[in-house]
Amino acid sequence: MNGLILDDPDGTLEMLRDSVVGFSARHAGPDVFRARRDNGGDLDREVWSAMAEAGWLGLLLPEDKGGAGLGIAEQAVLSEALGRALLTEPLAQLSIFSSVLLSHCSGGECARLAEGLIAGTALVSPAWQGRDGAAAPVSARKVGEEFSLSGEMRHVSAPTSATDFIVLAEADGKQMLVSLPVSAEGLRIETAPTLDGTRLGRLSLADVKVKEDALLAIGSEVDVAMDAAVTTTRLALAAEMAGIATAAIERTVAYAKERVQFGKAIGSFQVVQHRLVDMWGEAEFASAAVVNAVETLSEGQNNASRLAILAAKARAGEAAVNITRRAIHLHGAMGFTDACDIGLFMKRAVALNATLGQPEELRLQFVALEGVAA
Amino acid sequence: MAQQQDWNALSDEEFRAIFAEWVDANCPAELRFMRKQRPLFDEVSVWYHRLAEKGWLSPVWPQEYGGMGLDAGKHIVYVEEWARLGCPRIPDHGIGLTGPLLIQYGTQAQKDFFLPKILSGEHVWCQGYSEPNAGSDLASLRTSAVADGDGFIVNGQKIWTTLAHCANWILLLVRTSNDGKKRQNGITVMLVDMTTPGVTVRPIPNLRLEADFCEVFFDNVYVPSENVVGEVDQGWALAKAVLGHERIFLGAPSRPAYALRRLERLARDRGAFSDAGFVSRYARLRLDLFDLGSAFERFARVLRAGGTLGPDVSVLKIFSSELYQRITEETLSVAGEEARYWDDLPTGEGDVDAMNLYLDSRAPAIFGGSNEIQREVLAKGVLGLPR
Ligand SMILES: Cc1cc2nc3c(=O)[nH]c(=O)nc-3n(C[C@H](O)[C@H](O)[C@H](O)COP(=O)(O)OP(=O)(O)OC[C@H]3O[C@@H](n4cnc5c(N)ncnc54)[C@H](O)[C@@H]3O)c2cc1C
Repeated sequence: MNGLILDDPDGTLEMLRDSVVGFSARHAGPDVFRARRDNGGDLDREVWSAMAEAGWLGLLLPEDKGGAGLGIAEQAVLSEALGRALLTEPLAQLSIFSSVLLSHCSGGECARLAEGLIAGTALVSPAWQGRDGAAAPVSARKVGEEFSLSGEMRHVSAPTSATDFIVLAEADGKQMLVSLPVSAEGLRIETAPTLDGTRLGRLSLADVKVKEDALLAIGSEVDVAMDAAVTTTRLALAAEMAGIATAAIERTVAYAKERVQFGKAIGSFQVVQHRLVDMWGEAEFASAAVVNAVETLSEGQNNASRLAILAAKARAGEAAVNITRRAIHLHGAMGFTDACDIGLFMKRAVALNATLGQPEELRLQFVALEGVAA
Repeated sequence: MAQQQDWNALSDEEFRAIFAEWVDANCPAELRFMRKQRPLFDEVSVWYHRLAEKGWLSPVWPQEYGGMGLDAGKHIVYVEEWARLGCPRIPDHGIGLTGPLLIQYGTQAQKDFFLPKILSGEHVWCQGYSEPNAGSDLASLRTSAVADGDGFIVNGQKIWTTLAHCANWILLLVRTSNDGKKRQNGITVMLVDMTTPGVTVRPIPNLRLEADFCEVFFDNVYVPSENVVGEVDQGWALAKAVLGHERIFLGAPSRPAYALRRLERLARDRGAFSDAGFVSRYARLRLDLFDLGSAFERFARVLRAGGTLGPDVSVLKIFSSELYQRITEETLSVAGEEARYWDDLPTGEGDVDAMNLYLDSRAPAIFGGSNEIQREVLAKGVLGLPR
């Protein structure tokens, strides 16, 4: 099981992988998952700080914003490794999505958020979706030196732990990104538990006032920022799901070798072998799709990279979901318990697959973009 | 206890009407279409006792034992109406398993003692077959019973025992000898009081974080000889025989039917029916369910004609459990970005337990003989393929 195979001339990628392995020896993904879920938490503070210390937050932020200025290959390898280790903190949203947005912003508030994001002291969560997942900006009104924001946002990550939200808003047909502190008056947050042991929030803004200098970006720059954030995060999610897929097939092969029924390892039954081979094949294809998307995007954001990323997220999502649910079946009743980690992989896979577009939606976007089916 | 009548003399339609009318009037509304697949005894005891009072708790037992004495055809009607009206599953191992076993193989004393206590709800039973190392290969079970005076001393462990934490009696398969040439020899069926010293029950949270099944430990548990069913060492055949026509219900359309109703509800609310791709997939699922009904009927007809089921009935269980999975998977697609939430999804017509069903649908492909084992049965027993 090779996972992502990327050029690694100076060994940076290998070091990143190793650092995740070391990290997960100290913070075992499945244990953190269960503990966070059982406490009703949306994020594990200790793990998050440790991730900041490891230098994993804001990996994609450019150096002039204090970031590591690393590329998408590094981010993909990190995400894959997190998937494998089942480290399930909302990095995709709070680090990747927010970093990409901030890369397109400027000003003092942007610098403050970027700095805090990297240090792990500011938990910056993007708030921009409606119930169906599409962008749904809240309405903004200029009142003197302030903006007044009203509306509702769904699926907001780490709603209780967040210190700041980057809110998508709209005034007079112009989109903008606004920094909103969690303490803002008129902001109501409701949270609901997720399948992957975290919580998502519903933000209701009723005439919430923010100062003019909370404006992070406006106009066409917002479209560019949002588009880049969605695209990059999708790729990171695809990498994470490829990691889950690989881990799940590895574990299931190991279990099939170990579990004895009828005097033999169940992995010696031909039906089980063929099923495992199919699962392995799906994981390999998922990794290949992610590598292709990483390499295409490294050459620049264009039509080709869009297509490759849509394909990768669809492929990796479907692979992760299919592999983990068949893995549960091959674990028998054991797979149906909460104590068996394979179920947690399945839950994480389903949740990530549903984030930023399910496979069918992505495939339809792909063929629409190619224009052949139009 | 209510007067019984010869239900089998009625037409199916007549029986259906009488049964449905009473059930609809008596099954408490708050228990209908329960989210929980496996409620505990206390959660549904009102319904259990109402059925018991009416004399309708036990559809197949002969009337002399307090059952309704339904033949297989009428039993199917009973089960169909039960599902259609959304009645909750009751802890039914006493009714469906221990009772029929004792009626067929028990001593008079066993019947006199145990059957009334099942009907009254005093004894709640669970099924102690599977062990950590004996799942699909049940005959490799190792929980041992060693003769000791007028009884046996039992040591070992059972697992995946559904509802053991609300049961007070367990139907236990134990190993009493290792001498037989076949591993199936040397297995004995025992009736074990779970309040006996040495029995420990530990619930196991499942994927839905509910504790439906348990581990049950036996540490020098004394079981009197009169609690052996049938002959010592000859229990394997009994345990297999008791699942006669009931095997048809493993493939009943009720679970996929319930899941499809929920998919339709979500799809209407989220506008999926205006998406041609969805409609096409929905249509396939709908017709799969429709055709499962036809296939079920094919076997039901055999039973109504007084016949017995062959190994071919396994095809229903495979199809039904896999259809259930496909429907719940489609439901998550319709849920889109919301297919990340643990809680039920609100719609204008009420909540949809999309995730609950998705997780639950993992189980029927595993229990009751996994789908691989069912395919083995079909390959060897129906197609006559070589071993
Ligand atoms: C929800 C639930 C409730 C249950 N309730 C009870 C209960 O009340 N009482 C009780 O006694 N038991 C109960 N069981 C246990 C159930 O009977 C077993 O799970 C089942 O027999 C499978 O055994 P296993 O889980 O050990 O899986 P294993 O037998 O270890 O199988 C693991 C995997 O290998 C496959 N496999 C095994 N053998 C073969 C083969 N020869 N060829 C191809 N594939 C094979 C299986 O299909 C499965 O996918 C319950 C199980 C579940 C999930």
